[in-house]
Amino acid sequence: MKHKGIVFLLFTLSLLLTGCAGKRELNELAIVMAVGIDKGEEGNVRVTAQIPRPSDARGQTGAPSGQTGDAIWSVSAEGKTLFEAIRNLGRFSPRRIFWAHNFIIVINEEFAKTGIQDVIDFFTRNPELRMNTWVAVTPDKAVEVVTTITGLEVIPGEAVDKLLRYSAITSQAPRTTMRNLYSSYLSEGSDPVLTRVRLVEKGVSNEDPGKMNVKQVELAGAGVFKKDKLIGILEGDEVRGLIPFIERLESVILSVSCPNDKSENVSLELRHQNFKIIPGYEDGKPTFHVKLVTYSSIAEADCPISLKDKKQVDEMEKELEELLYNDIKKIVDKVKKDYHADILRLGEEFNNKYPSEWKQLKADWKERLQDAKIDIVVDAKIKNSVLLYNPTKSN
Amino acid sequence: MRVQISNGMFMAIIINMVYAKAIGITQGSLAREVGNDMWISTIFSTLQGIMMIVFVTYVIKRTPKMDIFEQSELLLGKIFSKIIALFFFIFFLFAFGGVSATFVYHLKDFFLPDAPLVLFIIAAFIMGVYGIFFGLEVIGRMALIGVFSIIALNVLIILGSLSEFRVEELEPIFESGFLSTLWASRHNDTDWLMATMMAAIILPHVGKQESWGKSGIVGIGLGGLFVVLWPILQTGVLTSEVTAQYFVACMQMARSAHIGLFLHRYELIMVAFFAISALIQIMMTFLCASIAVQRLFGLKDYRPVIVPVALILCGGGYCLVFDHQIAMDFLEKTWIYVALSIGFGVPLLLWLIGFLLKKKFKNTNMEASS
Repeated sequence: MKHKGIVFLLFTLSLLLTGCAGKRELNELAIVMAVGIDKGEEGNVRVTAQIPRPSDARGQTGAPSGQTGDAIWSVSAEGKTLFEAIRNLGRFSPRRIFWAHNFIIVINEEFAKTGIQDVIDFFTRNPELRMNTWVAVTPDKAVEVVTTITGLEVIPGEAVDKLLRYSAITSQAPRTTMRNLYSSYLSEGSDPVLTRVRLVEKGVSNEDPGKMNVKQVELAGAGVFKKDKLIGILEGDEVRGLIPFIERLESVILSVSCPNDKSENVSLELRHQNFKIIPGYEDGKPTFHVKLVTYSSIAEADCPISLKDKKQVDEMEKELEELLYNDIKKIVDKVKKDYHADILRLGEEFNNKYPSEWKQLKADWKERLQDAKIDIVVDAKIKNSVLLYNPTKSN
Repeated sequence: MRVQISNGMFMAIIINMVYAKAIGITQGSLAREVGNDMWISTIFSTLQGIMMIVFVTYVIKRTPKMDIFEQSELLLGKIFSKIIALFFFIFFLFAFGGVSATFVYHLKDFFLPDAPLVLFIIAAFIMGVYGIFFGLEVIGRMALIGVFSIIALNVLIILGSLSEFRVEELEPIFESGFLSTLWASRHNDTDWLMATMMAAIILPHVGKQESWGKSGIVGIGLGGLFVVLWPILQTGVLTSEVTAQYFVACMQMARSAHIGLFLHRYELIMVAFFAISALIQIMMTFLCASIAVQRLFGLKDYRPVIVPVALILCGGGYCLVFDHQIAMDFLEKTWIYVALSIGFGVPLLLWLIGFLLKKKFKNTNMEASS
């Protein structure tokens, strides 16, 4: 009898453990692939969510069965706060909005200028979101960026995800995730910098060949933040000098002119790069020695080039060094003179080496950074001509 | 005849007893206090844990056939033994606050935010009670599987987050100062004290008496190795500032882990591995608290008190984890006072009394050998 009671109790309690509590069925979810955040009317926030239509967002095989013609369904709503706007999405969405698979958060620059603290807070507090979600700013309406079909993928969010994932070689934008944004926002020794994307008419329509009138999402530099407010923009070419400071360096393509014919170019692929910042402290002022060593290979030559010709190689190396030096100098000067925001993470580097001095300097670090002596040394080496040994020229 | 477990099982139980809370909730507290130095603080507390297990082993080894309650009775009589049992019960009652916060905040906050809190407490109750009903040996066997789960979890998190790891984030070392880093180790000390207090109860059940000390040192050493990996990764991947923001920072890191492009979002696999360690923590806390109550009331077996003890612990756990602020305040303040005072104080007190009343040990050990 006693055992029967225990068995009954356990059986009854086990009903609570069926795994049904808090369940979310797949066919009840509206899976968000990209989010756009704009300024709404009367100081509101406008949130746009890009959601795939399960019946039309086909995979590798099979045709769409929904017959709507659109792989995505985009909804937009406003609210006084981000959460209220998101909750208002529920007025249109027949399914529960589900954030776990979101690829990217796109923030309009006008909105970003007023501060993105609420965006950071919501997307880091939400248990559904991952911290490796991309975050970008755009000069266009975020609603437009999020709803534009771009790239090869059926789902635009996925296309932008891959655009960012495989874009290192272009060096046109940093690749920033929510984790990067959150850590630099919280850090005393750095300010956030975000990927910048924009819409450009660079896609060629199959129905109107020869005309580039299809809007596509393009990488377009970086948004510079001071704390949580957007304070400036770096254009694509300016980002090249920034990337070594904030990312692990990958392969980059650069062009230099041919040594014997300045009207022609040689494309160099910077395959291995070693970037170091050595902080110092002299006369109460921080100093930084920035050193970049690169090893390049010749990717394409418009003129006859061979590694056998040492003089030519030396000339190209010198030009490459100048190019890289100028890139870094430009961004360093801009940060010091224009932005007064430490997007180069120099504060963190200084803190790593001089923690006790950092404690004294950190309160007015942005001002101290302006007086900081930063010297840059670039050592570029061309060591590889890929498959060709002899120059490509007609005999 | 006492239930016997092998020295390997003893080591496995130590590792599991500490791991689940130490990698997450404890690291958040450490990050809030000493930032980048949280991994150094974890190493400090592991060393203190090793010293403590050596000390507890020494205390128990004086009467190797007796657990800490029987030794107390031998020294100063039944009432003293009951007082010690009461201290042990209070210790494990408070310890269950941290254990239940670990279990609930990992599973509820990250996976089932809509599920009622009571569901997790009932789950902990049923599994904990079921586990300890079969006794120490069964928990010991589960703990061996738990160690393999911990290794698997550590391997998965290394593979999934190493690509994002920035070694520069670990610098500067001792940013908060040596003494502050050492002082912060008290957060993780509370985890190790759960292991050493448990050892004071279960050591007489461990097979080879001559290797008790070695097993304890290896158990805590290995446990420390498994645990310290997390603050290093959390600092290098999330940064200490981000770690400090969360109740359970390890889950936030686990959710962002990915191996290459195709294997990502595997946190459910990781949490399955983690759950074994969390369950062993629950079982051992129930077991130790039940044994303490058994000794408090002078019962022959702990089984009759399992359910009431588990109900008390679960009731306390429920009230605590219901409010995040109360839970964190408890874990970062109240629990530390209780854990340090009882965890260090009781073995020290017994050692001191034993030191003064050496003769009693001699007589007892002679009687036992004859």
